[in-house]
Amino acid sequence: MKEFAVFWGCTIQTRFPFIEKSTRMVLDSFALPHRDIDGFTCCPEKSLVNNIDHAAFVVTAARNVALVDELDYDLVSPCTGCVSNLATVKCELNANPVEKDEVNSMLKEVGREFTGKAKLHHLVPFFHDTVGLQTVKQKIKRDFSGMQVALHYGCHMIRPSHALKNDNPLEPVKFDNLMAALGAKSLQFNTKLMCCGQGLDRIDEHENALHFARIKLKELKAIGADALVLCCPSCFLQFDNNQFLMEKEGEKFGIPVIYFTELMGLALGFEPEELGMNNHRVDCSPFIEKWEALKARPPKENGVQATLRGPSGL
Amino acid sequence: MNFKLLEMCSKCGACYNICPSALNLPGYDPRAVIADILEGNYEKWLTHKSIWQCLECHYCLEICYQHYGFESAMTAMRTVATKKGIYPPQVKRGWDMFAKTSRLGEPALPARKKFGLPEPKASGADEFKRLMAILKESREKASSGEEK
Repeated sequence: MKEFAVFWGCTIQTRFPFIEKSTRMVLDSFALPHRDIDGFTCCPEKSLVNNIDHAAFVVTAARNVALVDELDYDLVSPCTGCVSNLATVKCELNANPVEKDEVNSMLKEVGREFTGKAKLHHLVPFFHDTVGLQTVKQKIKRDFSGMQVALHYGCHMIRPSHALKNDNPLEPVKFDNLMAALGAKSLQFNTKLMCCGQGLDRIDEHENALHFARIKLKELKAIGADALVLCCPSCFLQFDNNQFLMEKEGEKFGIPVIYFTELMGLALGFEPEELGMNNHRVDCSPFIEKWEALKARPPKENGVQATLRGPSGL
Repeated sequence: MNFKLLEMCSKCGACYNICPSALNLPGYDPRAVIADILEGNYEKWLTHKSIWQCLECHYCLEICYQHYGFESAMTAMRTVATKKGIYPPQVKRGWDMFAKTSRLGEPALPARKKFGLPEPKASGADEFKRLMAILKESREKASSGEEK
């Protein structure tokens, strides 16, 4: 497997260092050739920087990609936004040689060159396509059979598809497949692919952001999801933090919000505290307790084994 | 912005049943914004919250048979608005932080220690600032060239 730089992004490193923790534990457990490299900046964030200054958006992203290009690494990120933004610019420049030349003439002045050869992956499709689900299945110590989770894909893990080309942008399956490899049942529900709405908090529309969170959380409660599993720090902020704020106001949903790296970490045998799951604002213990209770249940093959053994069964 | 595509876009509407904001935010109607852009009457939208309520989820782009999506009209409106200094306050704060530090926040050092995370790698802030200065310079050069 080719070496890859991990692009952590601003949100995970600023607000959710425990997501970095669980991601590192998972990458190490699979012995993947991950590297930390100097010089990354913000990816940058599309909804902020691209809206204001498209050229600044393009050169900043191109510079970040150039850093991995020159080391001949690929790039992997646990953040959907970062991958989507970097891939959007990479695709734009590879499709437009004139623009690519302009950007490179600026990058040259700081000693960089964007070639666009590095592959950019989000960790979920990376586990699906590059590590392989078979490896995931072999590596885990304990699966989640008996648990039912609701997946939230995160718009920018799969869209825009012309740049990411990693799944069906309207009917994605890879995150579901990863859940199946972990033995969890991925529930199907109406709002599964609905945008989390965290962007509304970024434009000073907190009530509307809560409105979006509420729509999904209500459905999750109704269908009996054990947890909401997601793969994007912005979506995490929306469902963990805003759910907590609603809880404080007396509106309780009680849906644990779990980052997919934490779920993988649990399956690999790490303790919730080691993974930093006690730092969530919404209590994860109902999920953990249900899973622990399942552990106490005798394995399904027990009855069969008992009848096969014994005095007459040899 | 490609007006020919936007005009075709205005006659379709296939994406309004998948757009999360159109479905869930009362009063959010991209059709009204697009109609005004095509008429040349976009000014009133620059101060309107609608242009920021597009969440850039790219659903409209994906479901569009032209792979166009009205989001590009919303992005254009936001760019025009911010060039005139009209921002939601948080957007302005975020942009200022990005332009000043190259990031939207610094790694949380005490928490890193607590979790046993390695020292964060060197930031690219200095190089980023030089790059932004180069960009500014090339723009000034281009605009003075236009004047001549």
